Amino acid sequence: MGRRVVQIHFLFLSAVVCYAMEERDSASATPRGKAPSNQSRKSYGRSRRSLGVELTNIGFTPGHLAGLRAPTSRELPKPRNLTEHVNPEQIALLVKNEWKLSYITPLYQFRHTQLKTYSKQLSAFIAAEKQQGLAVEIEADTSFRVTFSAVLGLAETEDDAETVFIQIHSRPPFAVEGDAPKVIWSGWLTCINGNPEYLRSLPSGFVCLPLFCTSGSESLTSVVKLWFEKTFDCNFGTLSLNSTCLQWLASMWTGCHPAFNIRYLKLVWNLPAQPPLDISYTIHPQDAWDLWNSIREQDSAADTISINEVESFMKGLEAHFFRHFRIYLSAGTLTKVSTTFGSAHCDGKIKFTSGDSIKHVLMLLTEYALLKMPI
Amino acid sequence: MSLLKPFAKLPELNTANVLLVDSEDTFQHVLADAIVQQKNNVNVNVRLARSLPLPAENEDSRPRIDLVVLILHLRSELSLSSAETSLKQLDPDYFLGKVCFVVTGARCASVPHERMAAVRKLATSLHCPLLFTEEQTAEGINTAACRVLNILRVSAGLVPMATGLSLFSLIRSTLPPDLDYQD
Repeated sequence: MGRRVVQIHFLFLSAVVCYAMEERDSASATPRGKAPSNQSRKSYGRSRRSLGVELTNIGFTPGHLAGLRAPTSRELPKPRNLTEHVNPEQIALLVKNEWKLSYITPLYQFRHTQLKTYSKQLSAFIAAEKQQGLAVEIEADTSFRVTFSAVLGLAETEDDAETVFIQIHSRPPFAVEGDAPKVIWSGWLTCINGNPEYLRSLPSGFVCLPLFCTSGSESLTSVVKLWFEKTFDCNFGTLSLNSTCLQWLASMWTGCHPAFNIRYLKLVWNLPAQPPLDISYTIHPQDAWDLWNSIREQDSAADTISINEVESFMKGLEAHFFRHFRIYLSAGTLTKVSTTFGSAHCDGKIKFTSGDSIKHVLMLLTEYALLKMPI
Repeated sequence: MSLLKPFAKLPELNTANVLLVDSEDTFQHVLADAIVQQKNNVNVNVRLARSLPLPAENEDSRPRIDLVVLILHLRSELSLSSAETSLKQLDPDYFLGKVCFVVTGARCASVPHERMAAVRKLATSLHCPLLFTEEQTAEGINTAACRVLNILRVSAGLVPMATGLSLFSLIRSTLPPDLDYQD
């Protein structure tokens, strides 16, 4: 029987972010001062965030409140060098893979100071799961080593918790001492510019890191999720990007064309024809920029874009396509957007190819993760 | 091509006519079949259209339309925009008890929230009922057909003591309070 080698490699510590607990005042959040009385609450789980008014759910996520609506205007990525704030090696880790997105509900008693303990516990858990014969389909004698590290500098506001990066290294049993262990799975939890009202309304003891990105085998992902659920009493769910989110990304990336030179703008649609049709529409960046420029109203601020501009931009692109091919792109769904900044797929996959604009994309994704969470 | 007018023709005895307007085929046909096969004691004629206005050639042979049902698929932006253009071709008298909306795909996870909000606002501003249906199971389609048939009977005047306008004042869609304050 092979010896199980469990090693902990501890990289960095960061300060624990404390949340000031604020008493949630329902009068301040109820718009127009309506007096709520005896109305049934439809939110699942009487969380502290539930207001006194009756809520019917527009989407399928229950309990979503007036405080958390998709914003109608966003900031454009400025040409700011990310390496001032974040270690370049850590940025390199983030841009390497294609990440699969999920949302997590707030973690109970997650401490940034205990990352070393967590590494130990997770390695032991994976080894135990492997022994039980569950799920992990790697050769029997590989040993795992888990690393939890904190990526500093990505957090935008004071309320955001620091990003945590997890890596699972494997070392095959017959490796020579000098061999670097191979990373077989990596994942990270982050919260960038999350809604401050929501973050402050969480009870103490909860850390909100709503966005979870993973890259690696599904079995390891499910084992890690199981460990998180057991240790921190949280829940996971896939974060699929709907077409509005992809449209925001396309407009944001086009909008920073003069500063960054996206080399192409590629949109992929799926049309429900018989048989289903996939249309890939690649646009020259200068044309996209001209269209975008013509849509921007004269008096809009230079670095914010609004939902109306995004919609007009997409309508312009679809109208152009219709004029040439007589196909209504709006009858289908937008499945993928890609530029030189990266690509995003509607199933919840995202890939960054350069370090610029990571923060803004993560801001968008954090908002969507917060919107999609059931509490 | 003129506006579709509700009272321009005479009604027929024991007959109800419904017009299903939908930009996509499949659900329209299936719903039409289900409506016709429901058990009832009136003659129901189901007419299908892709969009309004209806072609002028059939103007004479077309009977009086008692209920116009606009089918909206939340999965595609196109059905919403074509329904909005079709609405402009309806005579305003229709909105007093003879138009209703049927929406499919409301439970789909990939539908953006804004589309659903836009549909609700549209239905509320026109004071029309909004029916949500499940289009992928036979049971769902039968339920939808049954509901449309009930509304049709009232709009065609076949139910004593009830008119389309009085029914719609009871079942019309309203906006939930948090939508009211959006943008």
